Amino acid sequence: MEQAENILFTIAMVGYFLAMLLYFVFAGLKRNAAAKAAAVIQMGGLAAHTAALIVRGIAAGRVPMTNQYEFATCFAWALCLVSLIFIAKYRFSFLGVFAAPVVFLIMGYAAMQSREIHALMPALQSNWLVFHVSTAIMSYGAFGVSFVLGFIFLVREKIRKDGFMDQHIPERDKLDVIEYRSVCLGLLFLTITIITGAFWAKKCWGSYWNWDPKETWSLVTWIIYAVYLHLRIMRGWKGKAAAVFAVVGFICVIFTYIGVNTFLPGLHSYA
Amino acid sequence: MPLAITLLVMLAAACGVCSAVPQGQTYEWYASQYGERTAAVIMALHADDAYHSWWFLALSGFLCLSLLMCNLIRIKPLIRRTGKEPGNFAGIWGAWVCHLGILLLIIGFALGQMTQEEYTISGLPGDTVPLADTGLQVTVDDFMIDWREDGTAGQYTAELTVRSADGKDEQQGTASVNHPAELFGYEFFQNSAGWAADVTVEKNGEILQKKTLCVQEYMPLEDDPDIVVMFYNFYPNYDGETGTVSPMASTRPEKPGYLYMVFYQGEVRGMNVLETDDEITIDQEYTVRFSNPSNYTLLMVKRDRFSWMAMLGAAILMAGLVMAFYLRKR
Repeated sequence: MEQAENILFTIAMVGYFLAMLLYFVFAGLKRNAAAKAAAVIQMGGLAAHTAALIVRGIAAGRVPMTNQYEFATCFAWALCLVSLIFIAKYRFSFLGVFAAPVVFLIMGYAAMQSREIHALMPALQSNWLVFHVSTAIMSYGAFGVSFVLGFIFLVREKIRKDGFMDQHIPERDKLDVIEYRSVCLGLLFLTITIITGAFWAKKCWGSYWNWDPKETWSLVTWIIYAVYLHLRIMRGWKGKAAAVFAVVGFICVIFTYIGVNTFLPGLHSYA
Repeated sequence: MPLAITLLVMLAAACGVCSAVPQGQTYEWYASQYGERTAAVIMALHADDAYHSWWFLALSGFLCLSLLMCNLIRIKPLIRRTGKEPGNFAGIWGAWVCHLGILLLIIGFALGQMTQEEYTISGLPGDTVPLADTGLQVTVDDFMIDWREDGTAGQYTAELTVRSADGKDEQQGTASVNHPAELFGYEFFQNSAGWAADVTVEKNGEILQKKTLCVQEYMPLEDDPDIVVMFYNFYPNYDGETGTVSPMASTRPEKPGYLYMVFYQGEVRGMNVLETDDEITIDQEYTVRFSNPSNYTLLMVKRDRFSWMAMLGAAILMAGLVMAFYLRKR
């Protein structure tokens, strides 16, 4: 089982790496075929990645979402999935040029973590785990895509304009709307994450909210994206300001995920 | 709206900064960690208990007030808009419903915190303890730890019986981690566990007294109350040769080690770790032995009358988000 998981994980990582290179070829040499090949290889990598997660789940006898390695690999999986959905839905291959390196980086971070399978501590033996962590993963994936879109928005003007770029990078308004939709998706899932986490904490520790650093920073992240939406809807903050918000919001997401565990240990120290 | 955004930003900033300050410590502790000047600032700003400080509660209160006012003010315009935009009810009311959900969630949580009853009780199997001044008596019928093959704990389960003050009513339940027992309207959470052991005192070969002591408990000798034995700590896996202990406190006891202290008239006269077959001799007269390590349960007991409001708020918030993001007419 362990060997099968390792092989599948490696296939996924190699797939993501090749997809990233092909996206670079697509952007650098302006070859449309490279983008199509990259998407196909990325989908293959995602399939292998899914299989690796299933194999690990079977070996562990639980959902593989309980430690740094498992969360990181699931985070990369979700980011890859959401970016592929957005690429297909908005016919926006250029998104892959920036999303694929982020996916590969997170996979690299996962690869550096311990892959040992440990039995779950009693507090983690709950059905809430599946809802709480899977929605967190999806929200992080969606925020990851909004970060990439915000980044593309910010660098769009600096990219030399030609017919190829015009064809593959949406207009500012459309880019802004896609970014807004990915933030909405992320915020919806983050809200579910926080709510399911609170109900789980109530069942486990007797209190909805303990001001644990992870909880607190999830709330900070939620507030940042809530402010983003309010400023956008009520004050018309779109375009560059919204893109900056999407980038800052994702930095906050990454701090909640990695920074809190590193610098602010608390009740979520295992995650 | 600008006020609400300002309050949100201030709350986010306060949360972020205060998350870096360990909560609930003393001035001395902060001074030892960060220096006296920083410690003084922390205490002056109530950052040692930031999330219950007056300024944090005031910020949260103002945010609730702002949400309430925002929702009240917007009712009429939204009703007018609903008439003008038929078929877009979800899009028009989504944000309003969201705000209502958040408001209920915060109020339900705050009322729950302010009015909840919270107690902590502990007991060995067979013990009966009063539940504070509620008149209820809690009996720990059994307490089991499901040890895994690797020696770690898989689950903690307490079988409980709760009796009313007059003893006429009785309810039984099982509390385990993630599965609290609900008895007489109180939720019993299996919160933690601790170690206990039988302590036997012999005099001239005859048992003088025998008692089950929990870690940190004392036992004065019946013959000479000036002599007190304290069960200071328990090590489930103690290596007597090297003096090392297992790094995990919650492991199945394979080679128990009992850290004891002996006091005479309040002064420490001895301290060491005993293994199962070891014994202490005091005044060449008394022999003390530790044996039969067992676990006691530590239960948190709570009654929160406003859980329903927080749950309702959460459900309304979710519904509002789905309405605003995905059911609106584009």
